[in-house]
Amino acid sequence: MLSETILRSLSGLQFVQPHRRPGTTIGERRSPRRGRSVEFADYRDYTPGDDPRRVDWNIYARLERPYIKLYEDEQDLAVHVLVDASPSMQWRNDTAQTSAKWERAAQLAIAMCYIALSSGDRLIIETSTRDRFGPRRGVAATSGVIEFLERATLNIDPDYPPVNNLSLPLNTWWKRYALDARPGLCIIISDFLDADGYTEGLNALGSSRLDINVLHTLSADELDPEFAGDLRLRDIETSAMQDVSLDDAALNQYRQRLNRWTGEIAESCRRRGGKYHLTDTGDPVEKVVLRDLRREGWIN
Amino acid sequence: MSVLNPIALLFALLAIPIILLYLLRLQRREQTVSSTLLWQQVVLDREANTLWQRLRRNLLLVLQLLTLAFLVFALIRPYLNMPATLSGQLIVLLDGSASMQATDVSPSRFEAAKVQVRRLIDELGPNNEMTIVLVDGSPHALTGSTNSKSELNAALDAALPSLTPANWSAAIALAAATGGGDANTSATTVVVSDGANADDLRLITGNARYIPIGSSGENVAISTLSLRRTTRGMAAFVRVTNTGSSAERVLASLRADGVLLDARTLDVPAGQSTGWTVNGFDPQLTAVHATIDRATNNKLPLDDVAYAVNTNNATRRALLLTRGNRFLEQALSVLPNLQVTRAITPPVAGDLKPYDLYVLDGISMTLPPRANVMFIGAQSVFTTSGIFSNTAFVRAEPHPVLQSANFRNVNAVDVSRVNVPSWLKPVVESQGGPLLFAGEQTGENARFGRVVLIPFELRRSDLPLQIAFPILIVNSVEWLSPPQGLSIPTNVKPGEVVPLPQGTIVQLPSGNRVAVDQRGFALTNEVGVYRVQVNDTTSAFAVNFAHAAESQITPNPQLAVGGSAPVSEVKPQFSQREVWSWLALLALVLLVIEWWIYQRGVPVLQRQRRSS
Repeated sequence: MLSETILRSLSGLQFVQPHRRPGTTIGERRSPRRGRSVEFADYRDYTPGDDPRRVDWNIYARLERPYIKLYEDEQDLAVHVLVDASPSMQWRNDTAQTSAKWERAAQLAIAMCYIALSSGDRLIIETSTRDRFGPRRGVAATSGVIEFLERATLNIDPDYPPVNNLSLPLNTWWKRYALDARPGLCIIISDFLDADGYTEGLNALGSSRLDINVLHTLSADELDPEFAGDLRLRDIETSAMQDVSLDDAALNQYRQRLNRWTGEIAESCRRRGGKYHLTDTGDPVEKVVLRDLRREGWIN
Repeated sequence: MSVLNPIALLFALLAIPIILLYLLRLQRREQTVSSTLLWQQVVLDREANTLWQRLRRNLLLVLQLLTLAFLVFALIRPYLNMPATLSGQLIVLLDGSASMQATDVSPSRFEAAKVQVRRLIDELGPNNEMTIVLVDGSPHALTGSTNSKSELNAALDAALPSLTPANWSAAIALAAATGGGDANTSATTVVVSDGANADDLRLITGNARYIPIGSSGENVAISTLSLRRTTRGMAAFVRVTNTGSSAERVLASLRADGVLLDARTLDVPAGQSTGWTVNGFDPQLTAVHATIDRATNNKLPLDDVAYAVNTNNATRRALLLTRGNRFLEQALSVLPNLQVTRAITPPVAGDLKPYDLYVLDGISMTLPPRANVMFIGAQSVFTTSGIFSNTAFVRAEPHPVLQSANFRNVNAVDVSRVNVPSWLKPVVESQGGPLLFAGEQTGENARFGRVVLIPFELRRSDLPLQIAFPILIVNSVEWLSPPQGLSIPTNVKPGEVVPLPQGTIVQLPSGNRVAVDQRGFALTNEVGVYRVQVNDTTSAFAVNFAHAAESQITPNPQLAVGGSAPVSEVKPQFSQREVWSWLALLALVLLVIEWWIYQRGVPVLQRQRRSS
């Protein structure tokens, strides 16, 4: 799915953490908690019961008052990669054998997971069919991630267009996910094409102290459709029909509508302090990760 | 309205495949998309156009169905029962006489008549047939009886008016032979004419109808142009006739070989003639022509010009041997180009060159060989066997000497019964015996040339007192000594055949040269001077329209045609007029509109979108 070379070039990168979130185990990320690292954080008054080893005796000698020296706690970061596996993600051009959109989503997911694992973060990856991998730590889990995504690809309905939609709507999926999610970084890889919308789900994730980063994945054919003439459009998820007569004016209108819609999604991410990036399946994946995401401050 | 081909209504079933094809065509191509989410807004915006789109598509369907309807309607061949006065077989007698060239209706009466005939052709029903007969000097059918409008129109386009009067009796006979004569058939004879000089049309049998052409009879014509030799040289006489109803002042001019000889303004009262004599011009002129112009009301240009040729250039010499005959002397002396030598006794033989003509009034003489002789009274040349006095007319042979001469009332006493040789034929027979002989001796040893023999003394008959006498003398002189050795008339009517020997070269007025074949010269349809060359002698004759009757161009709108059917009482009949051609044309127009809308439809939408 993703070449060894690209993976190797990703090692050494780590996600930028906008907020300190408490981890579960000791890691390489600063935790909001005070801990036992070597990095000084603060002083506080001694209260009975404190470990006398932690009293700063130098201060006591100077001020004759006991102060407890506090240190930064370094814990791991929980990275949640949520991959949309709804039928709309499996949509492909009529002439294509496989779905470029899903492939791109899987590649991005592997890249995100690899960055998280290689930087010692705690990784959980879940698809909208609620298949989950993790939590795992360490680069060794990368092969597990790849297997998981390959399995997810195989689990996708062999029929095209898909007949059995096992995928949850975005709102439902994210609300349920938010229930038991540890605070951390949440990377959403989705096309956001859901008739019920996405706002409630984002709210739920946000309120579970997840920092939301969105990789909005759309195929080139969605960004710039090449249909023409009198068409009956069939929604791949809902099978709803829509009659359109396409000419240049209608296509222009579609593009305007698309720009407005992606703008809305980006805005709702930014309001929650998250990041948004729109990927086009036409762009090479290394360009997206190593150039665009770094430039936009996702990773360093 | 009725239809001729109702079975073609089955073609209307073609509407079913059209509608089916339309429905199939309307089915949209299905396209799976990842979501219709983004398309809904586009569609909402476009809803306003949906009605127009449907209308546009429906408009195309409606236009297609309409086109089909018109085509089917055309295929069932509907026709209208048009009230028509003409149906069945139609025989059109189209007047092609000279008076039809009058210009009182623009451009000419003949063209106006053609327009009327074309209207008849247009009205021709599918079961009707038409024959067009062009009535001129020799009427002939332009087409056979046909229903083909293109054929009729083509024949009509090619028809030309002639310079001759119309021969109506021949035309009526032709029409009767074509089918108009049978009263049981529905043949209708339609006379399209100006009605001038056509008063014997009551002979038409069966249904008849008259379409009058022409509005004005105003015309000024040159009715006569003659040349004669006088003591003062040549003299020309021009007679200008006004057949109209108002006095005219015309400028008459006389030209000789293109040079103006004289011109004069002539006042011609209505219905009268004015003469004009031009004297004293060169006798060597070969031809003159007179024209009139500047008339205020002159509707027939044909008769504004006349030609005359001076054929009498050579003076003939005649010897008159008589003891005194005032009638004969007078009749011979007025003849132009005839130099008459009168004598009582025969001249001494051999002292003079032979005369062109010998007139022997009761005196015999020794004649040179091949002499042209007119014998009057008993002669010693021929033996006689008694006399007779019963001169009641029996018959007259057609002979040039008798042209226009009436011998019916000639009486004579003591007519010699002459024993004539076989070449001398009796020309006028009476109960008692022949009254006139004429003939020409041929052969190498011929004693005589041409001979005219009157076997009685003039003073013992009433012939000199009759009109026939000077005519006989003139005819005899012309026949016995033809000028220039070629016997041709000097004045010919258009269309007349001139008896010219085979091989003669004739130069037409237009300058073309034509060799005469064995049937004589018939190309006299052009007015003007024709120059004839035969055996190194040059002669000429003139073809003149000058025809008193045809110059009378007053149209007759009340002409009675046929035996009993005046124009207004022709019983109304119906003709079937098919309208399929119009329906087919409409279908074609609809098809073009449908194509246009189909081609233009999408760009129109785009323009609307951008402007909104």
